[in-house]
Amino acid sequence: MSRLVRSFAFRWALGIALWSTLLSLLLFAFVYWQTAAFMQDELAQVLRHEARYASGDPAKAAARIETWVSEDLHSVHFAGLFGADGRKLAGNLDVCPPELPLDGEVHRIGTQVSIAGRRLHEELWSAARSLKDGTVVVVAHDTDEIDRAKATVIRALGLALVPTLAFSILGGVLLAGRAKRRLASTEAAVARVMRGDLRQRLPVGEAGDEFDRLAQDVNGMLEEIERLMEEVRGVGDAVAHDLRTPLTRLRLRLERGREQARDIGELREAVDQGLVWIDQTLEMVTAVLRIGEIEHGRRCAAFGPVDLGLVVSEAVELFEPLAEEKGIGLSLEVDGTMPAIEGDRSLIFEAVSNLLDNAIKFTPVDGRVRVDLGRRGDLFVVSVEDTGPGIPVDEREQVFRRFYRAEPARQTQGNGLGLGLVAAIAKLHGFALAVTESSGGGCRMEVLCPASPRG
Amino acid sequence: MAKLLLIEDDAATAEEILADLRGRGHEVAWVATGPEGADATRSGTWNAIILDRMLPGLDGLTLLRDLRGTGDRTPALVLSALGDVDERIRGLRAGGDDYLGKPFVLGELAARIEALLRRPTDSRETVLRVGTLELDLIAGTGRRGLRDLDLLPRELKLLEYLMRRPGQVVTRAMMFEEVWNYRFAPKSNLIDVHVGRLRKKLEVDGEPILIHNVRGEGFTLTPDV
Repeated sequence: MSRLVRSFAFRWALGIALWSTLLSLLLFAFVYWQTAAFMQDELAQVLRHEARYASGDPAKAAARIETWVSEDLHSVHFAGLFGADGRKLAGNLDVCPPELPLDGEVHRIGTQVSIAGRRLHEELWSAARSLKDGTVVVVAHDTDEIDRAKATVIRALGLALVPTLAFSILGGVLLAGRAKRRLASTEAAVARVMRGDLRQRLPVGEAGDEFDRLAQDVNGMLEEIERLMEEVRGVGDAVAHDLRTPLTRLRLRLERGREQARDIGELREAVDQGLVWIDQTLEMVTAVLRIGEIEHGRRCAAFGPVDLGLVVSEAVELFEPLAEEKGIGLSLEVDGTMPAIEGDRSLIFEAVSNLLDNAIKFTPVDGRVRVDLGRRGDLFVVSVEDTGPGIPVDEREQVFRRFYRAEPARQTQGNGLGLGLVAAIAKLHGFALAVTESSGGGCRMEVLCPASPRG
Repeated sequence: MAKLLLIEDDAATAEEILADLRGRGHEVAWVATGPEGADATRSGTWNAIILDRMLPGLDGLTLLRDLRGTGDRTPALVLSALGDVDERIRGLRAGGDDYLGKPFVLGELAARIEALLRRPTDSRETVLRVGTLELDLIAGTGRRGLRDLDLLPRELKLLEYLMRRPGQVVTRAMMFEEVWNYRFAPKSNLIDVHVGRLRKKLEVDGEPILIHNVRGEGFTLTPDV
């Protein structure tokens, strides 16, 4: 029972019924008040007119009173002409009601009347006026008629109230039931999601109301969650796969070293090779963890103003000897002065380093790597372009995903995490990334930094 | 040699560290829990403390903060599992002198302990001399014997860093942190290329080698006379 009372649908039904009942009552009261007032006004006008007419001419007063009384077929007209001493001169009223003021206005009084020879007590609407000779004219009308009319109105309205109430409860129940059915289907979908079925979506109606928009938003959220889950699953698989290869190699190498080494030197050689592979593997695990850590946005403690120009030029300087050793021309162009942006200088340095590392790795001997730092509208753009093989158009979107390696990259060493790290760092800072083709046919990577990142 | 305290709860890790540091001639005591570690810091005198960030019973950083609260300035190196880089900042704020993320190479730990034990001598010195090598920090010039060295600004910094630690092994990560002042593990052989360039300028035409590559650990600058 308490569950019923707490239920949204029940409260809706009750609320709607109460509200419409209240409105009907107000409407009824108004109708009743207007009807009663109208009938009384009508009668009062007639009575005032008759009283004035009868009292207009003392000589004709008695006759006019008789006419008023005799016009009446239902015994509801009453009148009386009373002498100055109170004696009845004409009409069917026995006595002049003492409490009736002689002002020609209509009052409700109770008095003795005689109808067809019988004396009765009646409630009357009456108007009285005094004539010049001291006689008093009283014109009256039975109250029963109006009272009956009023009672009829009240009864009619009262009777109408019952279906009104019934219909409003029904309407409430229907409306609430509809809402409840929508809720129930949503609830069921949510329950399935909670049980782990992320492919489940909330039902979206065609009305496009707030409820539908909410359901759409929740569905959007579920899609994002599903996408992330897929990605996590993909990363898990990729990590496992990428771990198995070097571990297998390591196992074979150690096994062979153990069986076949003829002296300590050969054994050391096997172990050293093993250590190199372990380091590569650990590097990959470290990169995966770092990407996760950066993506969770936990690394904001080190945020501060960063001189983008300085960071980029220091990164270029760090890679300059490496490029030189490989016979690659590395150049830096800075267009204008760069104001400080908000960020983590070490992470931005790492991102630029990763882009440079990639560019140098994929550029053949005697190639060029060019770093540009400039403004484009409200954005600061750091671009790194090379004369390497470039990235096919249909793969450009994917290079920032973890473990992705474009076809030419499969031949070179690397774990496919470098650009994933760049993407994570960019996301943390609110930077955008773009991959295009460089003028030399190679790859051009752009980092677009809003002038005031992170709002 | 130095008297070291290792507070580390993982026995296998501790065993490797102990074997390595003892092999290098240090006297190392090991405790496995936070409270034991706190007792050991109070009862003994140590040249340096190596402690894990996460310890049973008492958190490593709390232990360190308490220790610093008593005015104890014993150099401390914080070890921590990977995965939280802000952790480093927290470790240093709690009073750590250096920080090393797991997994690490034993040579890296040994080199960093060595660096803590031999706090750079007088950093106000403006002319550094190691053997026939001389570096004038104010003028920004270097000489080997009578030969002037043509050094780029970064090479000057790198040489200064090495000359302040003669005979001491410095790792690539230490150099990257101190000379470039950025903090992450740079990939490939970047630092080696920079050191190689510097060596080409320092050691010409069969001059005795000054900068030695220490296999699996890093580099060391040794006096030539």
